[in-house]
Amino acid sequence: MQAAAIELSSVRKVYGSGAAATVALDDVRLSIEPGRIATLIGPSGCGKSTLLRLVAGLEPADAGSVRVHGVTPDEACAAKLIGFVPQAPALLPWLSVLRNVTLPQKINSGAAKRRERIGDLADRDGFAGAPDMRELLRKVGLGDAVNKLPSQLSGGMRQRAAIVRAFGLRPDVLLMDEPFSALDEFTRESLQDQLLALWDDLSTTVLFVTHNVSEAVRLSDTVVVMAPNPGRIVEAIDIGLPRPRNQQVFAERAFHDCEDLIREKLYSAWRSPDAS
Amino acid sequence: MPRRAWFGWIRPAIWLPLVVMLAIGGGLWQWGARSMPYLLPPLPSVFDSLSRNPSYYVRNAGITLGEAAAGLGMAFVAAFVLAVLVSEVGMVRRAVMPIAVVLNVTPVVAIAPALVVAFGFGPAPKLIITALICFFPILINTAVGLRSVPVPMLQVYQTIKASRLELLVHLRIPHALPYLFAALRIVTPLSIIGAVVAELSASGSVGGLGSVISVASSMNQLAVVYAAIFVLAVMGVLLMLIITLAERCALRWHESSADRAT
Repeated sequence: MQAAAIELSSVRKVYGSGAAATVALDDVRLSIEPGRIATLIGPSGCGKSTLLRLVAGLEPADAGSVRVHGVTPDEACAAKLIGFVPQAPALLPWLSVLRNVTLPQKINSGAAKRRERIGDLADRDGFAGAPDMRELLRKVGLGDAVNKLPSQLSGGMRQRAAIVRAFGLRPDVLLMDEPFSALDEFTRESLQDQLLALWDDLSTTVLFVTHNVSEAVRLSDTVVVMAPNPGRIVEAIDIGLPRPRNQQVFAERAFHDCEDLIREKLYSAWRSPDAS
Repeated sequence: MPRRAWFGWIRPAIWLPLVVMLAIGGGLWQWGARSMPYLLPPLPSVFDSLSRNPSYYVRNAGITLGEAAAGLGMAFVAAFVLAVLVSEVGMVRRAVMPIAVVLNVTPVVAIAPALVVAFGFGPAPKLIITALICFFPILINTAVGLRSVPVPMLQVYQTIKASRLELLVHLRIPHALPYLFAALRIVTPLSIIGAVVAELSASGSVGGLGSVISVASSMNQLAVVYAAIFVLAVMGVLLMLIITLAERCALRWHESSADRAT
Protein backbone atom coordinates (compact mmCIF):
# COMPACT_ATOMS: atom_id res chain seq x y z
CA MET A 1 0.00 0.00 0.00
CA GLN A 2 1.21 3.45 -0.83
CA ALA A 3 1.96 5.69 2.16
CA ALA A 4 0.22 9.04 2.39
CA ALA A 5 2.38 11.98 1.37
CA ILE A 6 1.64 13.70 4.67
CA GLU A 7 0.15 11.93 7.66
CA LEU A 8 -0.49 13.46 11.08
CA SER A 9 -2.06 11.48 13.89
CA SER A 10 -3.11 12.85 17.28
CA VAL A 11 -0.60 15.66 16.99
CA ARG A 12 -0.35 18.09 19.88
CA LYS A 13 1.85 21.16 20.19
CA VAL A 14 2.00 23.43 23.24
CA TYR A 15 4.01 26.64 23.59
CA GLY A 16 5.04 27.76 27.09
CA SER A 17 4.20 25.88 30.25
CA GLY A 18 1.97 26.08 33.32
CA ALA A 19 -0.75 28.74 33.32
CA ALA A 20 0.85 30.61 30.40
CA ALA A 21 0.74 27.55 28.12
CA THR A 22 -0.91 27.99 24.73
CA VAL A 23 -2.21 24.92 22.97
CA ALA A 24 -1.23 25.65 19.38
CA LEU A 25 -2.47 22.30 18.06
CA ASP A 26 -4.69 19.74 19.75
CA ASP A 27 -5.42 16.22 18.51
CA VAL A 28 -4.76 17.02 14.86
CA ARG A 29 -5.31 14.16 12.40
CA LEU A 30 -4.71 14.73 8.73
CA SER A 31 -3.83 12.59 5.76
CA ILE A 32 -2.95 13.91 2.31
CA GLU A 33 -2.59 11.65 -0.71
CA PRO A 34 0.43 12.10 -2.99
CA GLY A 35 0.04 14.58 -5.84
CA ARG A 36 -2.80 16.54 -4.28
CA ILE A 37 -3.04 20.17 -3.19
CA ALA A 38 -4.35 20.70 0.33
CA THR A 39 -4.93 24.09 1.90
CA LEU A 40 -4.97 24.97 5.58
CA ILE A 41 -7.33 27.87 6.23
CA GLY A 42 -8.41 29.57 9.42
CA PRO A 43 -8.13 32.75 11.47
CA SER A 44 -4.83 33.80 13.05
CA GLY A 45 -3.89 31.68 16.02
CA CYS A 46 -5.51 28.49 14.68
CA GLY A 47 -2.11 26.82 14.35
CA LYS A 48 -1.95 26.52 10.58
CA SER A 49 1.61 27.83 10.35
CA THR A 50 2.61 25.71 13.35
CA LEU A 51 1.25 22.65 11.57
CA LEU A 52 3.31 23.53 8.50
CA ARG A 53 6.47 23.95 10.58
CA LEU A 54 5.90 20.53 12.16
CA VAL A 55 5.65 18.91 8.72
CA ALA A 56 8.76 20.84 7.62
CA GLY A 57 10.69 19.45 10.57
CA LEU A 58 11.45 22.95 11.85
CA GLU A 59 9.79 22.13 15.20
CA PRO A 60 9.04 18.81 16.93
CA ALA A 61 5.51 17.77 17.92
CA ASP A 62 4.87 17.37 21.66
CA ALA A 63 2.69 14.31 21.11
CA GLY A 64 1.42 12.21 18.22
CA SER A 65 3.30 11.50 15.04
CA VAL A 66 4.07 13.35 11.84
CA ARG A 67 5.06 11.34 8.76
CA VAL A 68 6.12 12.46 5.31
CA HIS A 69 5.98 9.55 2.84
CA GLY A 70 6.19 7.23 5.83
CA VAL A 71 9.33 8.75 7.39
CA THR A 72 9.84 11.45 10.02
CA PRO A 73 10.08 15.08 8.85
CA ASP A 74 13.73 15.03 9.85
CA GLU A 75 14.50 12.10 7.56
CA ALA A 76 12.37 13.68 4.85
CA CYS A 77 14.47 16.85 5.02
CA ALA A 78 17.69 14.83 4.91
CA ALA A 79 16.45 13.15 1.70
CA LYS A 80 15.30 16.52 0.30
CA LEU A 81 11.69 15.43 -0.06
CA ILE A 82 10.50 18.82 1.13
CA GLY A 83 10.44 22.19 -0.59
CA PHE A 84 9.62 25.15 1.63
CA VAL A 85 8.27 28.54 0.53
CA PRO A 86 8.10 30.95 3.47
CA GLN A 87 5.88 34.01 3.72
CA ALA A 88 8.80 36.31 2.89
CA PRO A 89 10.64 35.26 -0.30
CA ALA A 90 13.86 34.89 1.71
CA LEU A 91 16.12 35.04 -1.34
CA LEU A 92 19.80 35.58 -0.60
CA PRO A 93 20.38 39.26 -1.45
CA TRP A 94 23.98 38.72 -2.57
CA LEU A 95 23.14 36.14 -5.26
CA SER A 96 21.53 36.65 -8.67
CA VAL A 97 18.09 35.15 -9.24
CA LEU A 98 19.58 32.24 -11.15
CA ARG A 99 22.15 31.45 -8.47
CA ASN A 100 19.48 31.82 -5.80
CA VAL A 101 17.36 29.11 -7.39
CA THR A 102 20.27 26.76 -8.19
CA LEU A 103 22.08 26.94 -4.83
CA PRO A 104 19.66 24.57 -3.00
CA GLN A 105 20.33 21.91 -5.64
CA LYS A 106 24.02 21.92 -4.72
CA ILE A 107 23.35 21.68 -0.97
CA ASN A 108 23.16 18.29 0.80
CA SER A 109 24.41 16.24 -2.13
CA GLY A 110 23.90 12.91 -0.37
CA ALA A 111 20.13 13.38 -0.38
CA ALA A 112 19.39 11.49 -3.61
CA LYS A 113 20.82 8.28 -2.20
CA ARG A 114 18.83 8.68 1.01
CA ARG A 115 15.68 9.29 -1.03
CA GLU A 116 16.08 6.02 -2.94
CA ARG A 117 15.91 4.13 0.32
CA ILE A 118 12.49 5.55 1.19
CA GLY A 119 9.92 2.86 0.26
CA ASP A 120 7.64 3.86 -2.56
CA LEU A 121 9.53 6.92 -3.75
CA ALA A 122 12.18 5.08 -5.78
CA ASP A 123 9.70 4.26 -8.53
CA ARG A 124 8.06 7.66 -8.66
CA ASP A 125 9.28 9.10 -11.93
CA GLY A 126 9.50 12.60 -10.52
CA PHE A 127 13.18 12.48 -9.77
CA ALA A 128 14.77 12.85 -13.20
CA GLY A 129 17.75 14.91 -12.14
CA ALA A 130 17.77 18.65 -11.73
CA PRO A 131 15.38 20.56 -14.01
CA ASP A 132 16.61 23.36 -16.27
CA MET A 133 16.31 26.35 -13.97
CA ARG A 134 16.56 28.92 -16.75
CA GLU A 135 13.59 27.24 -18.41
CA LEU A 136 11.60 27.23 -15.16
CA LEU A 137 12.38 30.90 -14.60
CA ARG A 138 11.30 31.71 -18.14
CA LYS A 139 8.05 29.84 -17.54
CA VAL A 140 7.12 32.14 -14.66
CA GLY A 141 8.15 35.27 -16.57
CA LEU A 142 11.56 35.79 -15.00
CA GLY A 143 13.50 35.03 -18.19
CA ASP A 144 14.93 38.55 -18.35
CA ALA A 145 15.70 38.69 -14.64
CA VAL A 146 18.00 35.67 -14.27
CA ASN A 147 21.08 37.81 -13.67
CA LYS A 148 19.41 40.48 -11.54
CA LEU A 149 19.77 40.78 -7.81
CA PRO A 150 16.66 40.24 -5.64
CA SER A 151 16.70 43.92 -4.61
CA GLN A 152 16.12 44.85 -8.26
CA LEU A 153 12.87 42.84 -8.45
CA SER A 154 9.30 43.63 -7.43
CA GLY A 155 7.66 41.75 -4.57
CA GLY A 156 5.73 39.50 -6.94
CA MET A 157 8.85 38.63 -8.94
CA ARG A 158 10.75 37.79 -5.77
CA GLN A 159 8.00 35.46 -4.61
CA ARG A 160 7.97 33.79 -8.04
CA ALA A 161 11.71 33.22 -7.75
CA ALA A 162 11.15 31.70 -4.30
CA ILE A 163 8.57 29.31 -5.77
CA VAL A 164 10.89 28.33 -8.61
CA ARG A 165 13.64 27.72 -6.03
CA ALA A 166 11.36 25.25 -4.23
CA PHE A 167 10.17 23.54 -7.44
CA GLY A 168 13.75 23.27 -8.66
CA LEU A 169 14.38 20.71 -5.93
CA ARG A 170 11.64 18.54 -7.45
CA PRO A 171 10.27 18.08 -3.98
CA ASP A 172 7.83 15.30 -3.21
CA VAL A 173 6.09 17.64 -0.80
CA LEU A 174 5.86 21.39 -1.25
CA LEU A 175 5.06 23.42 1.86
CA MET A 176 3.91 27.00 1.34
CA ASP A 177 3.28 29.38 4.24
CA GLU A 178 0.97 32.20 3.05
CA PRO A 179 3.31 32.87 0.12
CA PHE A 180 0.96 35.33 -1.60
CA SER A 181 -0.39 37.19 1.42
CA ALA A 182 1.81 40.26 0.90
CA LEU A 183 0.87 40.68 -2.77
CA ASP A 184 -1.90 42.67 -4.44
CA GLU A 185 -4.87 40.77 -5.84
CA PHE A 186 -3.85 40.82 -9.52
CA THR A 187 -0.34 39.62 -8.78
CA ARG A 188 -1.78 37.01 -6.44
CA GLU A 189 -4.08 35.57 -9.10
CA SER A 190 -1.38 35.42 -11.75
CA LEU A 191 0.94 33.70 -9.28
CA GLN A 192 -1.81 31.17 -8.56
CA ASP A 193 -1.91 30.48 -12.32
CA GLN A 194 1.82 29.92 -12.39
CA LEU A 195 1.78 27.75 -9.29
CA LEU A 196 -0.92 25.54 -10.86
CA ALA A 197 1.03 25.32 -14.13
CA LEU A 198 4.22 24.26 -12.34
CA TRP A 199 2.25 21.80 -10.21
CA ASP A 200 0.75 20.30 -13.38
CA ASP A 201 4.23 19.66 -14.79
CA LEU A 202 5.94 18.37 -11.69
CA SER A 203 2.96 16.79 -9.89
CA THR A 204 4.08 17.15 -6.30
CA THR A 205 2.00 17.16 -3.15
CA VAL A 206 1.30 20.70 -1.95
CA LEU A 207 0.37 21.84 1.54
CA PHE A 208 -0.60 25.50 1.35
CA VAL A 209 -1.40 27.85 4.23
CA THR A 210 -3.68 30.80 3.50
CA HIS A 211 -6.33 33.00 5.05
CA ASN A 212 -7.95 33.75 1.71
CA VAL A 213 -11.05 31.65 0.98
CA SER A 214 -11.14 32.01 -2.81
CA GLU A 215 -7.42 31.24 -3.03
CA ALA A 216 -8.03 28.08 -1.03
CA VAL A 217 -10.94 26.95 -3.22
CA ARG A 218 -9.17 27.69 -6.48
CA LEU A 219 -5.97 25.83 -5.66
CA SER A 220 -7.11 22.89 -3.58
CA ASP A 221 -8.30 19.36 -3.84
CA THR A 222 -8.95 19.53 -0.11
CA VAL A 223 -9.53 22.58 2.07
CA VAL A 224 -8.75 21.94 5.73
CA VAL A 225 -10.70 24.37 7.91
CA MET A 226 -9.03 25.15 11.24
CA ALA A 227 -10.13 27.03 14.36
CA PRO A 228 -8.24 28.56 17.31
CA ASN A 229 -8.27 28.06 21.11
CA PRO A 230 -7.04 25.38 20.97
CA GLY A 231 -5.74 25.14 17.39
CA ARG A 232 -7.61 22.28 15.76
CA ILE A 233 -9.02 20.95 12.51
CA VAL A 234 -12.76 21.56 12.15
CA GLU A 235 -13.35 19.79 8.89
CA ALA A 236 -11.60 18.75 5.68
CA ILE A 237 -13.70 19.66 2.66
CA ASP A 238 -13.02 18.10 -0.75
CA ILE A 239 -13.28 20.49 -3.67
CA GLY A 240 -14.62 18.68 -6.72
CA LEU A 241 -14.19 21.46 -9.26
CA PRO A 242 -12.65 20.22 -12.52
CA ARG A 243 -9.08 21.11 -13.47
CA PRO A 244 -7.42 22.99 -15.05
CA ARG A 245 -8.87 25.87 -13.08
CA ASN A 246 -8.07 29.03 -14.98
CA GLN A 247 -9.35 32.47 -14.03
CA GLN A 248 -12.79 31.71 -15.44
CA VAL A 249 -13.36 29.47 -12.47
CA PHE A 250 -14.03 32.59 -10.39
CA ALA A 251 -17.24 33.18 -12.37
CA GLU A 252 -18.66 29.70 -11.85
CA ARG A 253 -21.51 28.99 -9.53
CA ALA A 254 -19.96 25.80 -8.12
CA PHE A 255 -16.89 27.83 -7.14
CA HIS A 256 -18.98 30.22 -5.08
CA ASP A 257 -20.91 27.36 -3.49
CA CYS A 258 -17.58 25.97 -2.26
CA GLU A 259 -16.57 29.39 -0.97
CA ASP A 260 -19.87 29.77 0.90
CA LEU A 261 -19.53 26.35 2.46
CA ILE A 262 -16.03 27.12 3.74
CA ARG A 263 -17.05 30.53 5.06
CA GLU A 264 -19.92 28.94 6.91
CA LYS A 265 -17.60 26.37 8.52
CA LEU A 266 -15.12 29.10 9.46
CA TYR A 267 -17.79 31.30 11.05
CA SER A 268 -19.56 28.53 12.94
CA ALA A 269 -16.22 27.47 14.42
CA TRP A 270 -15.55 31.13 15.24
CA ARG A 271 -18.90 31.54 17.02
CA SER A 272 -18.48 28.46 19.22
CA PRO A 273 -14.86 28.45 20.38
CA ASP A 274 -15.53 25.56 22.80
CA ALA A 275 -16.79 23.31 20.02
CA SER A 276 -13.86 20.90 20.36
CA MET B 1 25.34 57.31 -10.11
CA PRO B 2 28.95 57.75 -8.90
CA ARG B 3 29.92 59.42 -12.19
CA ARG B 4 27.42 62.21 -11.70
CA ALA B 5 28.57 62.76 -8.12
CA TRP B 6 32.10 63.16 -9.47
CA PHE B 7 31.06 65.78 -12.04
CA GLY B 8 29.14 67.56 -9.29
CA TRP B 9 32.46 68.83 -7.94
CA ILE B 10 32.64 71.24 -10.86
CA ARG B 11 29.83 73.29 -9.31
CA PRO B 12 31.12 75.97 -6.90
CA ALA B 13 28.24 75.30 -4.51
CA ILE B 14 29.86 71.92 -3.85
CA TRP B 15 33.52 72.89 -3.36
CA LEU B 16 33.34 76.53 -2.29
CA PRO B 17 32.26 75.96 1.35
CA LEU B 18 35.21 73.62 1.92
CA VAL B 19 37.70 76.03 0.30
CA VAL B 20 36.41 78.96 2.37
CA MET B 21 36.64 76.86 5.53
CA LEU B 22 40.22 75.83 4.70
CA ALA B 23 41.19 79.47 4.01
CA ILE B 24 39.74 80.61 7.34
CA GLY B 25 41.48 77.75 9.17
CA GLY B 26 44.79 78.50 7.46
CA GLY B 27 44.49 82.22 8.28
CA LEU B 28 43.77 81.52 11.96
CA TRP B 29 46.71 79.09 12.08
CA GLN B 30 49.09 81.68 10.60
CA TRP B 31 47.87 84.35 13.04
CA GLY B 32 48.38 81.91 15.94
CA ALA B 33 51.84 80.91 14.71
CA ARG B 34 52.94 84.56 14.51
CA SER B 35 51.65 85.60 17.94
CA MET B 36 52.58 82.37 19.80
CA PRO B 37 55.57 80.79 18.00
CA TYR B 38 56.09 78.19 20.76
CA LEU B 39 52.52 76.89 20.19
CA LEU B 40 52.25 76.47 16.42
CA PRO B 41 54.82 76.43 13.61
CA PRO B 42 54.10 78.64 10.59
CA LEU B 43 52.46 76.63 7.82
CA PRO B 44 55.20 77.38 5.22
CA SER B 45 57.85 75.92 7.50
CA VAL B 46 55.76 72.71 7.88
CA PHE B 47 55.53 72.28 4.10
CA ASP B 48 59.15 73.32 3.79
CA SER B 49 60.13 70.48 6.08
CA LEU B 50 58.04 68.07 4.02
CA SER B 51 59.42 69.17 0.66
CA ARG B 52 63.05 69.42 1.75
CA ASN B 53 63.14 65.87 3.10
CA PRO B 54 60.33 63.83 1.56
CA SER B 55 62.17 60.50 1.71
CA TYR B 56 62.54 60.87 5.49
CA TYR B 57 58.77 61.11 5.92
CA VAL B 58 57.99 58.43 3.36
CA ARG B 59 60.39 55.98 5.02
CA ASN B 60 58.95 56.58 8.49
CA ALA B 61 55.40 56.56 7.18
CA GLY B 62 56.19 53.20 5.60
CA ILE B 63 57.34 51.82 8.95
CA THR B 64 54.22 53.03 10.76
CA LEU B 65 51.96 51.84 7.96
CA GLY B 66 53.64 48.44 7.98
CA GLU B 67 53.10 48.09 11.73
CA ALA B 68 49.48 49.20 11.45
CA ALA B 69 48.74 46.91 8.52
CA ALA B 70 50.48 43.89 10.05
CA GLY B 71 48.68 44.39 13.37
CA LEU B 72 45.37 44.85 11.60
CA GLY B 73 45.96 41.76 9.47
CA MET B 74 46.80 39.61 12.49
CA ALA B 75 43.73 40.92 14.32
CA PHE B 76 41.55 40.28 11.28
CA VAL B 77 42.55 36.64 10.89
CA ALA B 78 42.35 35.88 14.60
CA ALA B 79 39.07 37.73 15.14
CA PHE B 80 37.42 36.16 12.10
CA VAL B 81 38.34 32.62 13.12
CA LEU B 82 37.23 33.25 16.69
CA ALA B 83 33.98 34.86 15.48
CA VAL B 84 33.16 31.70 13.53
CA LEU B 85 33.89 29.58 16.60
CA VAL B 86 31.86 31.91 18.81
CA SER B 87 28.88 31.78 16.49
CA GLU B 88 29.00 28.01 15.99
CA VAL B 89 29.87 26.73 19.47
CA GLY B 90 27.74 27.92 22.38
CA MET B 91 30.39 26.99 24.91
CA VAL B 92 33.02 29.19 23.23
CA ARG B 93 30.50 32.03 22.97
CA ARG B 94 29.72 31.95 26.71
CA ALA B 95 33.42 31.79 27.54
CA VAL B 96 34.69 34.48 25.19
CA MET B 97 32.01 37.10 24.63
CA PRO B 98 31.82 38.58 28.17
CA ILE B 99 35.61 38.95 28.24
CA ALA B 100 35.57 40.44 24.74
CA VAL B 101 33.02 43.05 25.74
CA VAL B 102 35.01 44.07 28.85
CA LEU B 103 38.29 44.28 26.93
CA ASN B 104 36.58 46.24 24.17
CA VAL B 105 35.72 49.08 26.56
CA THR B 106 39.18 49.00 28.17
CA PRO B 107 41.55 51.60 26.65
CA VAL B 108 44.09 49.12 25.35
CA VAL B 109 46.61 51.84 24.43
CA ALA B 110 47.19 52.26 28.17
CA ILE B 111 49.13 48.99 28.27
CA ALA B 112 51.56 50.21 25.59
CA PRO B 113 54.25 51.31 28.10
CA ALA B 114 54.00 47.97 29.89
CA LEU B 115 54.45 46.11 26.61
CA VAL B 116 57.48 48.21 25.75
CA VAL B 117 58.98 47.24 29.11
CA ALA B 118 58.25 43.59 28.33
CA PHE B 119 59.25 43.41 24.64
CA GLY B 120 61.68 46.28 24.13
CA PHE B 121 62.02 48.69 21.22
CA GLY B 122 61.46 46.19 18.40
CA PRO B 123 58.29 45.76 16.37
CA ALA B 124 56.67 43.28 18.79
CA PRO B 125 54.94 45.76 21.16
CA LYS B 126 53.69 47.82 18.21
CA LEU B 127 52.12 44.81 16.52
CA ILE B 128 50.60 43.59 19.77
CA ILE B 129 49.03 46.97 20.60
CA THR B 130 47.66 47.45 17.10
CA ALA B 131 46.28 43.92 16.94
CA LEU B 132 44.69 44.22 20.39
CA ILE B 133 42.94 47.47 19.49
CA CYS B 134 41.62 46.07 16.20
CA PHE B 135 40.70 42.62 17.48
CA PHE B 136 37.53 43.20 19.48
CA PRO B 137 35.51 45.41 17.14
CA ILE B 138 36.11 42.87 14.35
CA LEU B 139 35.24 39.95 16.63
CA ILE B 140 32.03 41.45 17.99
CA ASN B 141 30.74 42.80 14.66
CA THR B 142 31.48 39.61 12.74
CA ALA B 143 29.96 37.39 15.42
CA VAL B 144 26.77 39.48 15.36
CA GLY B 145 26.65 39.32 11.56
CA LEU B 146 27.13 35.55 11.48
CA ARG B 147 24.30 35.04 13.94
CA SER B 148 21.76 37.47 12.46
CA VAL B 149 20.78 35.65 9.26
CA PRO B 150 16.99 36.13 8.94
CA VAL B 151 15.00 33.11 10.13
CA PRO B 152 13.06 32.46 6.88
CA MET B 153 16.35 32.24 4.93
CA LEU B 154 17.67 29.72 7.42
CA GLN B 155 14.41 27.76 7.36
CA VAL B 156 14.55 27.31 3.59
CA TYR B 157 17.99 25.72 3.94
CA GLN B 158 17.15 23.81 7.11
CA THR B 159 14.33 22.01 5.32
CA ILE B 160 16.88 20.58 2.89
CA LYS B 161 19.22 19.73 5.76
CA ALA B 162 22.10 21.96 4.74
CA SER B 163 25.09 21.07 6.90
CA ARG B 164 26.51 23.60 9.35
CA LEU B 165 29.46 24.12 7.03
CA GLU B 166 27.11 24.78 4.08
CA LEU B 167 25.07 27.24 6.15
CA LEU B 168 28.28 28.96 7.23
CA VAL B 169 29.74 29.26 3.73
CA HIS B 170 26.58 30.06 1.78
CA LEU B 171 24.50 32.03 4.30
CA ARG B 172 26.32 33.19 7.42
CA ILE B 173 29.62 34.49 6.02
CA PRO B 174 28.09 36.44 3.09
CA HIS B 175 25.48 37.85 5.45
CA ALA B 176 28.24 38.93 7.88
CA LEU B 177 30.24 40.81 5.22
CA PRO B 178 28.54 44.20 5.72
CA TYR B 179 29.14 43.85 9.47
CA LEU B 180 32.76 42.99 8.78
CA PHE B 181 33.25 46.07 6.63
CA ALA B 182 31.60 48.25 9.27
CA ALA B 183 34.19 46.88 11.70
CA LEU B 184 37.04 47.62 9.27
CA ARG B 185 35.87 51.22 8.99
CA ILE B 186 36.09 51.54 12.77
CA VAL B 187 39.35 49.68 13.10
CA THR B 188 41.46 51.13 10.29
CA PRO B 189 41.99 54.55 11.95
CA LEU B 190 42.45 52.75 15.26
CA SER B 191 45.25 50.65 13.79
CA ILE B 192 47.24 53.80 13.00
CA ILE B 193 46.55 55.18 16.47
CA GLY B 194 47.78 51.91 17.96
CA ALA B 195 51.02 51.94 15.97
CA VAL B 196 51.75 55.62 16.74
CA VAL B 197 51.00 55.29 20.46
CA ALA B 198 53.29 52.26 20.68
CA GLU B 199 56.06 54.22 18.90
CA LEU B 200 55.56 57.20 21.22
CA SER B 201 55.84 54.96 24.27
CA ALA B 202 59.08 53.45 22.99
CA SER B 203 61.04 56.64 22.45
CA GLY B 204 64.31 55.79 20.78
CA SER B 205 62.85 52.98 18.72
CA VAL B 206 64.05 52.36 15.18
CA GLY B 207 61.58 54.53 13.31
CA GLY B 208 58.04 55.35 12.41
CA LEU B 209 56.15 58.63 12.50
CA GLY B 210 55.46 58.23 16.23
CA SER B 211 59.20 58.18 16.94
CA VAL B 212 59.69 61.14 14.58
CA ILE B 213 57.11 63.09 16.59
CA SER B 214 58.55 62.20 19.98
CA VAL B 215 62.14 62.93 18.94
CA ALA B 216 61.28 66.21 17.17
CA SER B 217 59.13 67.52 20.01
CA SER B 218 61.87 66.80 22.52
CA MET B 219 64.11 69.00 20.35
CA ASN B 220 61.45 71.70 19.92
CA GLN B 221 61.15 71.14 16.14
CA LEU B 222 57.44 71.95 15.87
CA ALA B 223 57.47 72.05 12.06
CA VAL B 224 58.67 68.45 11.91
CA VAL B 225 56.04 67.36 14.47
CA TYR B 226 53.21 68.86 12.45
CA ALA B 227 54.60 67.60 9.16
CA ALA B 228 54.52 64.07 10.59
CA ILE B 229 50.97 64.59 11.84
CA PHE B 230 49.98 65.81 8.37
CA VAL B 231 51.47 62.66 6.82
CA LEU B 232 49.55 60.52 9.33
CA ALA B 233 46.30 62.24 8.34
CA VAL B 234 46.96 61.65 4.63
CA MET B 235 47.75 58.01 5.40
CA GLY B 236 44.46 57.60 7.26
CA VAL B 237 42.48 59.11 4.40
CA LEU B 238 44.16 56.80 1.87
CA LEU B 239 43.46 53.73 3.99
CA MET B 240 39.78 54.65 4.35
CA LEU B 241 39.62 55.17 0.60
CA ILE B 242 40.94 51.65 0.04
CA ILE B 243 38.40 50.19 2.49
CA THR B 244 35.56 52.10 0.82
CA LEU B 245 36.55 50.87 -2.64
CA ALA B 246 36.85 47.28 -1.44
CA GLU B 247 33.48 47.57 0.26
CA ARG B 248 31.84 48.86 -2.90
CA CYS B 249 33.19 45.94 -4.90
CA ALA B 250 32.31 43.29 -2.33
CA LEU B 251 28.91 44.66 -1.28
CA ARG B 252 27.41 45.70 -4.58
CA TRP B 253 24.26 43.84 -3.49
CA HIS B 254 23.88 45.58 -0.15
CA GLU B 255 21.48 48.46 0.59
CA SER B 256 24.30 50.62 1.95
CA SER B 257 26.01 50.72 -1.45
CA ALA B 258 22.70 51.16 -3.30
CA ASP B 259 22.05 54.26 -1.22
CA ARG B 260 25.38 55.77 -2.13
CA ALA B 261 24.92 55.09 -5.83
CA THR B 262 21.67 57.04 -6.16
